[in-house]
Amino acid sequence: MMGELLFSGGVFSDAIDGGRAGAEIELLPMGILARTPDGKRFEVPYRECQLEIGGFSGWMVFCRNRDRSLTIFCEDRKFPSALSSASAGILDEQLNDKLKKQKSESRRGSLIAAAVLVAIVLLVVGGYFGVRAGARAAVRAVPTSVDREIGAMAFESMELGGPELDDPAVAEALQSMIDRLAPHAALNGMEFEVHVVDSPMVNAFALPGGKIVVYTGLVAQAAEPEQVAGVLAHEMAHVTLRHGLHRIGQALGLAAAVNLLLGDTGGLVAKGSDLFQLASINSYSRDQENAADAEGARMLHAAGMDPMALTRFLEALKEEKGDLPGVVSWMGTHPRHEERIEAIRRQAAEWPKQEFAKIDVDWADIQELAK
Amino acid sequence: METEIRNKPSFANIRIKLGPGDRVIAEADAMASMSSTIDIKTMWSGGFLRAVLKRVFGSESLFVNEFSTESEGELILTQPFPGDIECLELKGNTLYLQPGAFLACEPTVRLGVGWAGLRMLIAREGLFRLKVSGTGRVWFGAYGGIFQREISDEYVVDSGHLVAYEPSINVRIGMAGGIFSSFFSGEGLVTKVTGPGRIYMQSRSFGGLAAWTNSHLW
Repeated sequence: MMGELLFSGGVFSDAIDGGRAGAEIELLPMGILARTPDGKRFEVPYRECQLEIGGFSGWMVFCRNRDRSLTIFCEDRKFPSALSSASAGILDEQLNDKLKKQKSESRRGSLIAAAVLVAIVLLVVGGYFGVRAGARAAVRAVPTSVDREIGAMAFESMELGGPELDDPAVAEALQSMIDRLAPHAALNGMEFEVHVVDSPMVNAFALPGGKIVVYTGLVAQAAEPEQVAGVLAHEMAHVTLRHGLHRIGQALGLAAAVNLLLGDTGGLVAKGSDLFQLASINSYSRDQENAADAEGARMLHAAGMDPMALTRFLEALKEEKGDLPGVVSWMGTHPRHEERIEAIRRQAAEWPKQEFAKIDVDWADIQELAK
Repeated sequence: METEIRNKPSFANIRIKLGPGDRVIAEADAMASMSSTIDIKTMWSGGFLRAVLKRVFGSESLFVNEFSTESEGELILTQPFPGDIECLELKGNTLYLQPGAFLACEPTVRLGVGWAGLRMLIAREGLFRLKVSGTGRVWFGAYGGIFQREISDEYVVDSGHLVAYEPSINVRIGMAGGIFSSFFSGEGLVTKVTGPGRIYMQSRSFGGLAAWTNSHLW
């Protein structure tokens, strides 16, 4: 017994209406017989048979007669070996040759497929980082007037959470601190301008271009003016380091990369404005917070103000967190304060000891006005 | 059962005259109009599991409708997009249909879903395709005109234009030309098919329509 002799397959022949039909294939002693469902019989003798291997699966065997007018094909995986033994070896040479060729071709095919997949992954990853790096470079090339425009636009459309404080005395006191710090800013062209909002929230934030918003809750919470100066220096550092623009650039870059990959150009505008909201100004990354701490401390030190005041403010916030519901906001956007306090301490320790000039404002008065 | 494909090629639809005992199975939502004498029975497309597979991977609907009548009646089937419809008589042979192409068949035709392979995904032809086999007539549709070709050697089809092919056709992904022309000719990756066998192509592609529409949106 030579194993299975019946297989299912098909026939190509002009003798069939439409040129093709499914067939039951039988391996006879002298040749391959195909029977179509409507009872037609086709035969290719082994000695005439020209073999080919291919098809979608890559293992379909085609047996053709001498003038190639008839092709019997079968996709069964057992067919090649059954054909080999049924034909008593006369087809072995062709069969081995074609099988070998098919194998190397399919191996090459899978190699190419793998290479294409790897290339796609690399393109995605590379594209993402490329776009991010490009966004960073682009921010550097953008003139500071753009920062100011974005800041002004954001300020106008923003829900501040309270009215601006009527009495200008508080804003003037804060502005005097900013004016002391401003000459030591790392970037020229920013116009620092403080706005005091009457709200119990213990919060402050900066917009691109130099607008800084401070809530009266923060003024009331700070035990000494130096602590507020510390917060202001931190917020000014966000401005001079242009963190807002970096965030927007990254968010847009990510959207552009997604777009490049998925080819969805329609969603880009909608997504861009969404991300603009998401990236808007008040939510900076950890790295940006750390950078703003370091740069803020540097500015304080350069301006002859106590850089440790910021750490005292952070510590006071930490202790009182339980009592003050409004505290959560500055803490919420500025997490991990213990690490931050430690980092500022380490930075300050490297500077020579120095006497810091007290800030010349009547803090009790200012706090009274801010209540 | 008398059938006729009308309004070829742009807005092709199938007109079927059913006699007593005649049955035809069609993609859900393919019916445009029918005589009130025709009964419609909705069923899972080849059983629940196969139906879900077809829905998820073959872009076919979860259900198929079986139309039959005890007297006689007329049934009009159509497809959602402009384009031609082709009828094919299976004689025990098999045909692979690209996702979404299937429209209708006689009840003797078997419908199944097959894994098409990663290469078809890269060619943007979908990971799965519909496999129709058995005996009987199958109707499938395409976007634009349908043209067929007997392939003996190698033939190049742009991605998105292949509608149906026989299992004897080998499909490989290749670049349209060299690296440069592949990227800048707008052809990119193409499908290289090798015979023997027959392929059916559509003269328009959905990807092309989507890109064209997109470029005119804003």
